[in-house]
Amino acid sequence: MNTVTLTVNGKPASATIEPRTHLADFLRETQNLTGTHIGCEHGVCGACTLLVDGVPTRSCITYAVACQQAEVTTVEGLDNDDIAAELRTAFSKEHGLQCGYCTPGMIVSARDVVLRMDAPSEHDIRIAMSGNLCRCTGYVGIVRAIQGVITARRARGIAAIPDGNRKILGPAGSGHAVPTTNGAEPRARVSSGPADTQARAQAAKPVSRPDADWKPQTTFTQGFTVAHPVDVVWDFFGNIGEVASCLPGASLAGEPVDGHVEGQIRVKVGPIAAEFQGVADVTRDDATRTGTISGSGKDKRSNSATRGLIGYAVRPGDAPGKTKVDVSIGYTLTGMLAQFGRSGLVQDVAGRLIAAFVQNLEAKLAHREQGQGGEAPPVITELDAGSLVSSVVFGRLKQFFASLFGRR
Amino acid sequence: MKPVNFDYARPADVGAALALLADDSLSVKLMAGGQSLGPMLNMRLVQPDLLVDITGIEELKRVEDRANEIVLGACITHADIEDLRVPDVTCGALPSVARGIAYRAVRNRGTMGGSLTHADPSADWLSILSTLGAKVTLRGRSGGRTIPVEDYMLGALEADLRPGEMLVSITVPKLSRSARWGYYKSCRKTGEFAHAIGAFLVDPDRGVSRAVIGATESRPIVIAEATHLVGDGKAERLDLAFDSHAAGAAIEAAGMADPIDRQTHVVALRRAIERAHTA
Repeated sequence: MNTVTLTVNGKPASATIEPRTHLADFLRETQNLTGTHIGCEHGVCGACTLLVDGVPTRSCITYAVACQQAEVTTVEGLDNDDIAAELRTAFSKEHGLQCGYCTPGMIVSARDVVLRMDAPSEHDIRIAMSGNLCRCTGYVGIVRAIQGVITARRARGIAAIPDGNRKILGPAGSGHAVPTTNGAEPRARVSSGPADTQARAQAAKPVSRPDADWKPQTTFTQGFTVAHPVDVVWDFFGNIGEVASCLPGASLAGEPVDGHVEGQIRVKVGPIAAEFQGVADVTRDDATRTGTISGSGKDKRSNSATRGLIGYAVRPGDAPGKTKVDVSIGYTLTGMLAQFGRSGLVQDVAGRLIAAFVQNLEAKLAHREQGQGGEAPPVITELDAGSLVSSVVFGRLKQFFASLFGRR
Repeated sequence: MKPVNFDYARPADVGAALALLADDSLSVKLMAGGQSLGPMLNMRLVQPDLLVDITGIEELKRVEDRANEIVLGACITHADIEDLRVPDVTCGALPSVARGIAYRAVRNRGTMGGSLTHADPSADWLSILSTLGAKVTLRGRSGGRTIPVEDYMLGALEADLRPGEMLVSITVPKLSRSARWGYYKSCRKTGEFAHAIGAFLVDPDRGVSRAVIGATESRPIVIAEATHLVGDGKAERLDLAFDSHAAGAAIEAAGMADPIDRQTHVVALRRAIERAHTA
C-alpha cells in the first residue's frame, strides 16, 4: 500500500491505496468524486478524461501513485471555470448530451479545444474531439457547442493559448514527488510454485475436442525449405514429441495416444507472456505426405482461449536432397489477448516462431544425418528478444560453416 | 479491468532504475507515460511484480541542443514536441507527426522513448524517426550503446533491449534548410492504429534520400538510398519522380507478399510525397 497525496480541485486529498489504483478509481472510491466516469477502462472512450497539472489526461490509464503531488481537476472542480461554464450553457442549448455519461470527459476535452485552438473548422474540432466517444446524441450538437463558444470568445478578444499553459517537459503529473525506490512495501507474493502450475493444468483439462464444423477466424500460410531428403523430413514429422521440441516454448505432457496429445506452449511477446495448456489431435496421410494438427488451449493468466488447425504438406524441394514444407495455420483467439489482438501482430509472432522452428528442425535433422547419438544440439527454447538476436547470429554462423564445408 | 497487484518504485536517476531492473527474481517492468502499458496492465496482458516509474528521472526529461543534432530524453512527451517546448530541428516533421498521434489526452503523458520501446509497428515515432535517420541510446549497468531507431525494433512488440538495459535518449539529426519530408498514415479512424504509413526525407545538402514503409505489422521497411523512388530532392516537383512500380517492387523485395497490403503501403508513400512539405 502507498500513501498518495494529490491536490484535487484545489484541496489536498490523501489516501492509502494499492499502486495499481488508477486515478479515476482513486477519485471515485477514496474521494467520493464520482463526476469522473469510467467507460472502457483502457484509454479508448475518453469518458474518464480530466485535468492533471492543467492538461487533459486519461485517468483510467494513469495510476494515482504516478501523479504524487500533482494538481488534479475533475469536472466537479470546473464549476467556476469560465470556459467550462460557457460550454455547459452551449451544451444545453445545442443538445450536446442525452444520457450524460460521456459529458464530464467531453467538457474537459472541449475546454482544451476552446483554450488551445484559435479558429478551428468543424473538421478540426471533430479530429480534436475524436478521442471522446458519445453513443447517444451523435456529435453534431457537441461540435456546434464548441464552435459557438470559440467564436464568442474570440469575438470578445480572448486569444487561444496553443500550449495550454504547460511549460515543463515530461508526462503530465510527473516530477512533483520525491523518489521512492524503497518506499513501496513489498506485498505478499502469491506462490507460483508447482501447486499453482498443477492447478492451471487441471483447469485447462476439460477443453472439449474441436467440433467438426469449426472454422478458423484467421488463416495464413507459410512455407520453408530444409536441406534434407523428403523421406527423412516426413519421417521426422511423424514423431510428435520431436516436432514439439522444435517449437520454442512447446512441450508435451506425455506420449501421444491414438494421435491425441496434451501439452502446452509458452509464448512471450514483448512484455506479454502467455502459456496455453491444451489438447491436440494429430492425423497423417502417408500417401499424400500431408498432415493436420488440430488443437485448442487456454491461457489462465489472461483468461484467453485459442483453437487452431495446422495443416502441413511435405514435398520435394527445388534441388535434390531438399524438402519444401508448406504450412497453413488457422486460428481463433478469444478473451483478453483477442481484445488486444491485431491479427497482423499474431502473424509476425507466428512467422518468428516458424523461423525458430525451422532452425531447430534443421539442427536436429543435421544431427541425425551425421549419425550422432547422445544429446541433441542446442535449440532455441524460448521466443523472445534474446532468441531473435541469437537467431540472427545463429544464421550467420550457419552460413559461415556452410561456406566453410561447401555444404550448400 | 484492474491490473494485478504490483509493487511500485520511482527511482531518482538512471542508475537507481538500472539497479531495480537487475533483480532477476522479479518480473520488473519500466513505465514512462504508460499510455500503451496502462491498457495492457488493465487487461492483465502484462503482470509485473514491480513497476518502475521512470518519469521522476530528470535526465530523461532533458533536451540537449548540439551542433548537428538534438538529443531528447526518453520521457519527452508527444505534446512537448507538438507544442514546440522542444526546439524543432526537423523542418516541422516531428511536431506535425506528434499532432497526429492518438489523442491530446494521450499525448500529454505518452513519451517518445516509451513508444519506441513498446515497438508497436503502427507507432508514428518509429516510422518518422527511422525516416529522419535518428538513433537511440541504451544504457545498462556495464555501459551504453547507440543504434539506429529501425534496428531498435526487432519485431512486433519486441525491442532490442538486453537484460538490464533501458532506453535513455533519442538523437535526431538536424535537417538542412533544403530538406523536404512527407508523412502519411492510413487509419480507419482518427487516432487509431495505422494500417499503412509512408514517409520520406530528401535533404540534398546532406546527400540524404530515404523512404520508409511503416505499419507493416513488423519492422518498418527502410529504403536508405531512395533516389530511384523519391529523387535526390533537387527537382522542384518530387511527385513527378515517384515510381509506384519501383516502390511496389522494393516493398515486395522486403518481404511484403500480400498485393493489397503492398498497394496500401505504396499509396501511403505516394501521398506522403504528394503532400511533401517544403522547408
